[in-house]
Amino acid sequence: MKKQLTSILGACALAASMLGPITSPVQAEWDIAKAAAPFKGEQINVIFLDRPGYRAIIKLLPEFEKKTGIKVNYEIAPYENTREKQVLNFNAKGDLTLALVDLVWIGEFAENGWIEPIEKLSADAAITDPGLNLKGFFPLLLDAFGSWGGKVYGLPFDNYSGLLFYNQCQLKEAGFDKPPATWAELKDVYAPKLTIADKKQYGYALQSLRGETQSCDSFMRVLWPFGGSLLDKNFKSNLLSPQSQAGLKFRQDLAKSMPPGIVSYDHSEAVNALAQGQVSMITEWSAFYGTLTDPATSKLGDCLAVAPEPAGPAGRLPALGGFSLAVASQATEAQKKASWIFIQWATSEEIARPYVEAGGVSGRMSIYEQPDIKAKYKFVEPMVASWQKGVPEFRPRFPAWPAISEVIAEWGTKMQLNEVTTEEGAKQISTRMEDILKKEGYYDGKKELRQ
Amino acid sequence: MSEAKPTRRHHLGYGRWTPFWFLAPAVFALLVVGIYPTLFALATSFRRYNITRRSDMLDGFPFIGFDNYLTVLSDRTFWDSLLLTGQFYLTVVPIQIVLGMAIALMLHRPGWGFLRTLTRVSLVVPLATTYAVVGLIGRLIFNRDFGVANQFMGWVGISSSDWLGNPTGAFIAIVVMDIWQWTPFVALIFLAGLSMVPVDIEEAARLETKSHWALLRYVQLPYLLPGLTAVLILRSADVLKLFDMVFVMTRGGPGAATDLVSIYVQRVGFKVFDLGLASAQAVMLLVLTIVLSRIYIRIFYREIEA
Repeated sequence: MKKQLTSILGACALAASMLGPITSPVQAEWDIAKAAAPFKGEQINVIFLDRPGYRAIIKLLPEFEKKTGIKVNYEIAPYENTREKQVLNFNAKGDLTLALVDLVWIGEFAENGWIEPIEKLSADAAITDPGLNLKGFFPLLLDAFGSWGGKVYGLPFDNYSGLLFYNQCQLKEAGFDKPPATWAELKDVYAPKLTIADKKQYGYALQSLRGETQSCDSFMRVLWPFGGSLLDKNFKSNLLSPQSQAGLKFRQDLAKSMPPGIVSYDHSEAVNALAQGQVSMITEWSAFYGTLTDPATSKLGDCLAVAPEPAGPAGRLPALGGFSLAVASQATEAQKKASWIFIQWATSEEIARPYVEAGGVSGRMSIYEQPDIKAKYKFVEPMVASWQKGVPEFRPRFPAWPAISEVIAEWGTKMQLNEVTTEEGAKQISTRMEDILKKEGYYDGKKELRQ
Repeated sequence: MSEAKPTRRHHLGYGRWTPFWFLAPAVFALLVVGIYPTLFALATSFRRYNITRRSDMLDGFPFIGFDNYLTVLSDRTFWDSLLLTGQFYLTVVPIQIVLGMAIALMLHRPGWGFLRTLTRVSLVVPLATTYAVVGLIGRLIFNRDFGVANQFMGWVGISSSDWLGNPTGAFIAIVVMDIWQWTPFVALIFLAGLSMVPVDIEEAARLETKSHWALLRYVQLPYLLPGLTAVLILRSADVLKLFDMVFVMTRGGPGAATDLVSIYVQRVGFKVFDLGLASAQAVMLLVLTIVLSRIYIRIFYREIEA
């Protein structure tokens, strides 16, 4: 009898072990507290920005810390200083255990070995959520924000798409019952009717302050929809191509409908101009939806409406931007594991709803399929539409971008000020940009042409 | 039994060592904060030293001789920004000297009691204000829509201007903010110089002439020259490293209208992270500061005979 019982138990154990990978409770249900138990008391460090997505996760942090016992230390820094702080920290083998990776830093951070490919961590089942589901992210976001050279390094955390925010009341008054569908329509039909310069009322504002705002939000925004691009397939400048020039000239023409001194407009000025009714349309990051709906910062109320960015001759190719979170290579093994648990939590499908409700923009597809979310947040549908198609290399993501961005910022502004023609400006940028790329080794075969 | 002759000992706590101990903390601080970074920058300027390039790191930041210096010398943007910095210096410093002198002379006059004390104290406020805060104040003053600069212009019937959005306006805006911040410093230096003028000589001169100009030119000015030299040296060095205020107000734009050399060096050093090139630029600026200082001392500095 005893022998028989042993045989039955043995058979059950064998069966259980064979079924293990499918039905094991460890894999079927992710217990974050259990996974984090070995790292209780561990401190992980990250830099955050003073933007809605970060304020949202900060609100939710106590829940994570309570569940896991892992302490998340964050420092809030202005965007302009974030890369500098991280680069210096990584070089000095500092205390950061997580990297906040802007789309355009992924190449630099990955090639320098400052961040870990997630495969190194996800291979460890004890610290990896079986519901991690990378396919649940918008493919464009995972590809653009988190991947480099075919490897995933970071998971999309603070996600943006360029959107057309507009004052539908002003548009209605001017006789328009829908937003412009194309850039040409915006410039030739809508903007002239909405611009009354004497009353300091303008149809459109394009934030163009020198810096990343100029290079990304202003300059690159007019290249892609017109069929242009920064580089051709050989990494030579494509700025003198008819398509790129068409985009740049379009921006010059559109200036007539913009407030004077648009080159001094950063995001805050453009958003504020719409919020206060001084301009009727802006193309801005989805993240500013919260600012524009907050009665404390916006007079728009129900007049606010959101649409995808207008299409150009090459289609709708809106600005793409955002940040992923990655594990820093300099962290200790325990910190790396704790950081990986945090990243999975902060970008998980489970946290997506509270994150969005707290003001964040999740990179998970499933949350935007929820009817109540769609109904509550006007930006969701145009944003999801924008993320269906886009160019990951909207801005090149290679390590040379920061240097090239500075060149574009200078000469792009000079073009807008009519100090140089679009052709002359493009020539100046091309010469300097190709010089930078040559020094990087892109033209002598030392580096793969990857952007 | 003869008395033992006392041996001459140099105790490390006093005697010849006393000045050393008094100076040691200052010398140590100078070595750590000033000399070491300067020597490090000098060494870096001869290397290919980009901390975001793995190849540079793997090569051990190789020695490349004067390549970085040659790059600086042939870099048009560097020269343009240096020229702009020169224009900025030549605009702000004469105005600061004239205004500073005027304020110092007014405060040097007898009378005004409490008001004079209050003015002296309030002169310190702009000096004590952080550069970045000055930049933020500047952004508000010169804001197109609600800035007080346009408000004032409106009162005198001049139409409002988009100061920070056009090259000339942006340059004027940073000039105004620099003058606001540094004129009090110049005034205080000159005031200190005026207080050095012996009272009996000044009173005798006042009996001799009623001309304020003659009094200034022949009696007070000699006492002001050392202060003027200090102002010129300090302001040269300061303008060459003026960064925060301009960056906060304009980020060097629009275009390159306010792209002072310090903004450019910062960009090369902390955006591109080419520390070798940025160090070469910094070393060249250091040399320029030293040369200017020698010139100022030779031209303006005079010892006052007692």
